[in-house]
Amino acid sequence: MATTAQITLSSGDIAGDPVNVTKTATLTKADSLSDLDQSTGLNRVHLRSTTQKTLLSASATGRTPGDNKASKVYLINKSDDASLYVTVSINAQTIGKLYGGDFLFIPWSQTDASANIKVAATNWTSSTGDIPIEYALFHEDQDFLTNA
Amino acid sequence: MATTNVTIDLASDITDNALAVSNTTQLNTAGTTTGVTAMTSVTKVLSSTAQADLIPRSTVSTTHAYVYINNPSDDETKYFKITIGDHTGGEVEELGRLYAGDFMFFPWDVDDDITCVPSSSDDMTIEYMVFS
Repeated sequence: MATTAQITLSSGDIAGDPVNVTKTATLTKADSLSDLDQSTGLNRVHLRSTTQKTLLSASATGRTPGDNKASKVYLINKSDDASLYVTVSINAQTIGKLYGGDFLFIPWSQTDASANIKVAATNWTSSTGDIPIEYALFHEDQDFLTNA
Repeated sequence: MATTNVTIDLASDITDNALAVSNTTQLNTAGTTTGVTAMTSVTKVLSSTAQADLIPRSTVSTTHAYVYINNPSDDETKYFKITIGDHTGGEVEELGRLYAGDFMFFPWDVDDDITCVPSSSDDMTIEYMVFS
């Protein structure tokens, strides 16, 4: 089983010559050529509050802080309104804002139990409507399930 | 303004029913449909396991940018810890480890520097692009 991620960046006019970068990665376990073998699948949730929410919880994994495990996160703001954004943070550190249509694809270390990935529909109001986001996690070993 | 597009394609057969995701978006300035106008493309070779200030916030003049980082190594033991925060000694949050052959792409609020820590003192190449 394998998971591949491919990104293509292209522009005909941001520089004097056309820019075209394509990169394909096969997602592997840490320091290994073995494929990642677990996934949350693709999830969709609707944000309808400016309150910050935990999207992926590092404390649920039960892993040892600082250990060397590979995880990859894909997250997209599916709003078609370019002005509506979702602020994405890890722990207390803001990474950036995903405006309508934007996505991210990052590795996630979960270096400690506080290294949750959080989202906030910061400029949501009752008149903007829900902000739908979709996300997937690809990972190894830890199960990301909370205790019943 | 310029027109810059980014596409991601994810394909996975981890689950019994395969996953295939494809999305394309235009890179725009904050909250608009106006394309970004600036691009930086850099390749660095690092030869120390000391934390390096990879992308200082002072190099970007906006508060919204897009960052692509690539680890082109084909040695599976060579990775970079990618961190964000004040590299001069303040709080730094590790985002994740970019293993050999991996890339990452994300929006950046240009509030703190993007830093990295190589896993080895051997020469390690890291590539990045910033669109703003």
